[in-house]
Order: sequence, then C-alpha cells, then structure tokens
Amino acid sequence: MKKKDILSSLFWMAVGFEVCYGGYDLELGTLHDPGSGFMFFWVGVIMIGLSLAVLVKAIRMKPDQKGVGLLRGEVRWTKILSVLAALVLYAYVFTYLGFILSTVLLLLFLFKAVEPQRWSWAVMGAVISTLTAYGVFQLWLGSQLPRGFLG
Amino acid sequence: MDLLNYLGIGFSVALQPVNLFYCFVGVFIGTLIGVLPGIGPVGAMSLLLPTTFKSTPEAAIIMLAGIYYGAMYGGSTTSILVNIPGEAASVVTCLDGYQMARQGRAGPALGIAAFGSFIAGTLSILGLMLLAPPLSRIAIQFGPPEYFTLMVLGLTILIYLAHGSMPKALIMAGLGIVLGLIGLDSINARPRFTFERMELIDGVGLVPIVMGLFGISEVLLNLEQVIRRDIFETKIKGLFPSVKDWRESLGAMTRGSLLGFFLGILPGGGAVISSFISYAIEKRVSKHPEKFGKGAIEGVAGPEAANNAATGGAFIPLLTLGIPPNVVMAMLLGAFMIHGVQPGPLMMKQNPGLFWGVIVSMYIGNFMLLVLNLPLIGMWVQLLKVPYKILFPLILLFCLIGVYSVSNAVFDIYIMILFGIVGYLMKKFDYEGAPLVLAFVLGPLMENNLRKSLIMSQGDFSIFFTRPLAAASLIVALFLLVSPFIPWMRKKREEIPKEEIT
Repeated sequence: MKKKDILSSLFWMAVGFEVCYGGYDLELGTLHDPGSGFMFFWVGVIMIGLSLAVLVKAIRMKPDQKGVGLLRGEVRWTKILSVLAALVLYAYVFTYLGFILSTVLLLLFLFKAVEPQRWSWAVMGAVISTLTAYGVFQLWLGSQLPRGFLG
Repeated sequence: MDLLNYLGIGFSVALQPVNLFYCFVGVFIGTLIGVLPGIGPVGAMSLLLPTTFKSTPEAAIIMLAGIYYGAMYGGSTTSILVNIPGEAASVVTCLDGYQMARQGRAGPALGIAAFGSFIAGTLSILGLMLLAPPLSRIAIQFGPPEYFTLMVLGLTILIYLAHGSMPKALIMAGLGIVLGLIGLDSINARPRFTFERMELIDGVGLVPIVMGLFGISEVLLNLEQVIRRDIFETKIKGLFPSVKDWRESLGAMTRGSLLGFFLGILPGGGAVISSFISYAIEKRVSKHPEKFGKGAIEGVAGPEAANNAATGGAFIPLLTLGIPPNVVMAMLLGAFMIHGVQPGPLMMKQNPGLFWGVIVSMYIGNFMLLVLNLPLIGMWVQLLKVPYKILFPLILLFCLIGVYSVSNAVFDIYIMILFGIVGYLMKKFDYEGAPLVLAFVLGPLMENNLRKSLIMSQGDFSIFFTRPLAAASLIVALFLLVSPFIPWMRKKREEIPKEEIT
C-alpha cells in the first residue's frame, strides 16, 4: 500500500502540474471574466495539494510487508496483456479489414488463445457471434460498421 | 387534478406499443446484466445507448431507465443462489439470501426479493410523482450560484461516501472535471487540451470513458484469476412466500422503501448505501438479531426494497434540477442530451410527455419485472452457468461495437482501451471510478455556472455566501470535506461502506 500510494501520488502530482500549466497557458482571465484556463488552473492546484496529502500519508505509513509488491501476486499477466494487444490491433485494422473479418479474427483469438477451447467451438462461436452482432447493429439498428477492403 | 392530467399524459406515452417494447427490452436486459456478474448497469447503458439513436427520446430514456431498475432486481438472484452479488447494491442480500438457499428456502428468498423490489419500486415512483412537481417549481428560481454550489455539494457527498481515501476520491473528481472540459470552450470556442487532434475538438465522449472504466477494466480484472462459481444445486420451489414470511417482511419492506427513496435523492451510491443501512436497521429492530446472517428473511426483504426504492429517488435531482446524483443518472443525463432534451425544472412544462411517460413506464416496468423474475427464474439460473471464458469475448465485442457506433470513430475505441487500462490500474491502486465519471459530466456544467456567477457578481465571491441555498450547500460541502480531520466524523465515515462481506 505504501509503495502504491507513493507512486500514484507522484503520478497525480505530475498530472496536476501539467493541468496547472495548461490552464495558465490558456489564460486565467480575471475574476470579473474568468478565462478558458481558469477552471483548469485551480483544479490542477487542488490536484497537486491532494496528491501531496496522499504522499505525506503514504510516507508516514509502515513499510509494506515483504512479498506485497506493486503488481505481483497470482496475476495472469500474459492473459491481460494479450487481450489488450488484441484490442489495440483490432482497432488498428478495423477499418481496413472491415467489421466482419476483423471481429471474427478477434473473437477467434479470444476464444482460442486466451481461454483455450476446442477449434470447432471457437470457430463456430466467433462466426455466429460476429454475424449476430452484424445483423443486430448494421441491419436492424442501422449502425455504419466498416466494410473494409472486401466491401 | 393536475397530477391526474399529467398521469394521463404519462400513460398515453408509456402505453404506446413502441414504448412498451423498449420498456420490456430495458427491464429484460437490466435483469440479464443484473444476473451476470462482470457487467453492471452503467456499462450496459453505455453499451445500448447507440441503439437508441434512431428511436424517440421517450423510448430511449424508458429503455435506459429500465436497465437501471431491472439490474437491481436481477442482482438479487445471483446473491441468493451463488453468493456472488450481480450488483454492488445486492451485496448485502448475500448474507441472508444465500443462507436461506442453503436451508432449502431459495424459493421464498427469491420471491420476497422480487415482491419487495416491486412494492418498493412502486412506492418510490409514487414518491417521485408527488415530490418532483413542487421541487421543479422551486428549482425554476435557482440561478447559476445555486446550481454551482448544488453541484459542488453533490460531488462532495459522492466523494464522502466513496470507499477508502477521500483525497484519492477528490483527485479522481479533479481528473473527471479536467477530462470533461477538454474540447472547445463553450464561451469563446477556444480549443482546450485537444493536443491538436481534431477528434478531441468536441471533447472526450462519455461512452468510451464509461465503457473503459467499467467494462474493459472489469474484464481485465476477471481475467486475472480463474473464476469459479459454485451454483447452489437445488430445486427452486415455492416462490410465493408464506403468510409467516410476509408477516416478518412487511415492516422491513416499508422501512427499506422509505429509507431507500430518501437516500436515493442524495448524491452518492444511494442504492448501495441504503441497502447496507436497511440491513443494519433491520438487525437492530429485530426481536431475533441472532438470526441475521443465518437466513433471516427480513435481511433479504429490507435491503432489496431499499435498493429498488433508491432508483426512484435518484431520478428526482436529475429530472427536477438537471443534476445527476450518481453515475447511472450521469449516463441518463448524457442520453437526454444526445436526444436534445435538457432535464431540469423546465422539463416538466416543456416535455410533459417525456417526463411523465418515463415515470409511468417505470411503474409498468416494475410490473413486467415481477412477471419476468418469478416464472423465469429457472432461465436466469441457467444463464449463470455460462462460463466466463465464453462470456468475456462477448462483453468485449459489445463494448467495441457500442463505442464505435456512437460516433463511427476508431479513435473512441482507443480511448476506451486507454480508460480500460486506467480503470484497471485505478482498482489496483485503490482509486474509485464513480467520482471521476460524475465529475466528468458535471465539470462543464460547473464551470459554466461558476463563470456565469462570477460575471453576475462582477468577480465577487460573496455571491456564493449571500444567497441562502448556495451558502447552505457550500457549508455542508465544506463540513464533509473537513470531516476526515474530526475524529468522530472520521469514525462514522469509515463505518459507512464496507461491511463483513466474504
């Protein structure tokens, strides 16, 4: 907890400074006529003050017990990172490959690689889910999903 | 007489076939996501928001409201049968509901939860009908200083009631305000914090932020460990509670309804807090407090009534003042605005069909929920058996389509993924998402009202202290903010949220 709070408070302090600077840069205006940066500046100041409060409290805390790290423990990191990578890649190829192809590939990956299941199930699940979603959103609700290079 | 006329308008809107359909879809999906752990009402509402673009504002709000109170119904099913609350508001139902199920009384537990929810939901709608009109009339007289200070108070109460550290919750609120202000300045159209990206000119969307913080991050957290769900294998019979059950529960339901309704009006986790307080009250007034935690039916009836009544109460500040008291109402405010409607004191006069239609639809929706929950409980139980490895790709798929459909922009998908990571880290570092989202929605309104107030007073801050309501709001907010420094107040606050949940 101590390490977590020290790290997070320093991060928010940095964000607070950036917000303050950005607000100042946008012009604070006057009290009669507050400018575009007025609210940003003061919210930034408050964020810095609060981060300082969290930091001071964290420094006064007892040290963390051994083995209680920041992001250690029985966390299945590979699963989380692979899901995130798949989502970013999906967004990247979404318009190029089109909704149907990119979604089938994404679901296939999620069904097969992240939580392994039989191939037949994974393929069937990916195709049926994609086509159902396409039917509901594109055909019924009229969303404009990208067709990609095939369309 | 006026009230009857308005009710007539409400029924004529709510009973239109298309609105009945949307109401049904809303409560059905609400129950579904209430049953399924891993996605809550906020995520589901943002997911389905794009599907309402082609509908009328009435149908859209009726459906989204249905998801909210439907989720409160559905959440109790998992609490009772699996000992996993589908919703935070049903956490306390686990304590006695699951014990009842273990004793072979799953049927009466589910039955009393459904009836209690129905009765409380109905009572809270009556309260909403009676309180909203006079409050709207008063609210018309409010100016920018009152609105600004009321929003400050609302946000402060939410922060006060947030779990854990208050400075951390305040930092989140600050971040929410900053994010909410990104885009063009509403007064001089100057771009702010847009980093020269065209996509940010209109600001960051509410849906990608909410979906990221509450949808994606939840999936990531669930993927961390292997989820095991032990469904209590029992034949559910006798859903109708016995006369003895009713006798024991009626008082609890009535107290829970009143408590939930009034706490629901206050900003913060109305449904969650009221369910906990209701449980504590029932335990205190009971002649057999030792039965609590071992299958006392009052321990199910009271909290379930309270969390449903709170949903009705939560509509009051949104519909009469245009100020959302919690994250779900912030989502609804977003939906209202997308459909070009500004909730607030004038809404009742300008849009009586929408105002009363939504209220009456909630009454109809409560009836639908009773029909959905009791005979279909077997189906909901089957749904619980769907393994998470099948569920999570589908949740991700709906998040992706939902976010893209709002603005047809891939940029929003990136924003959602970013906030998924932020939300995940926030949970790891003990920061809460609710103050961020509420502040995100209130930020622009707060800034606008602050600037208007200062222009009105020619830069004199005393405008916030010379007007009675504004001064009272600020004093209460200030008191709550300094409360961590007062020992007895700090102790009281620490007692509010987490109770002995295993």
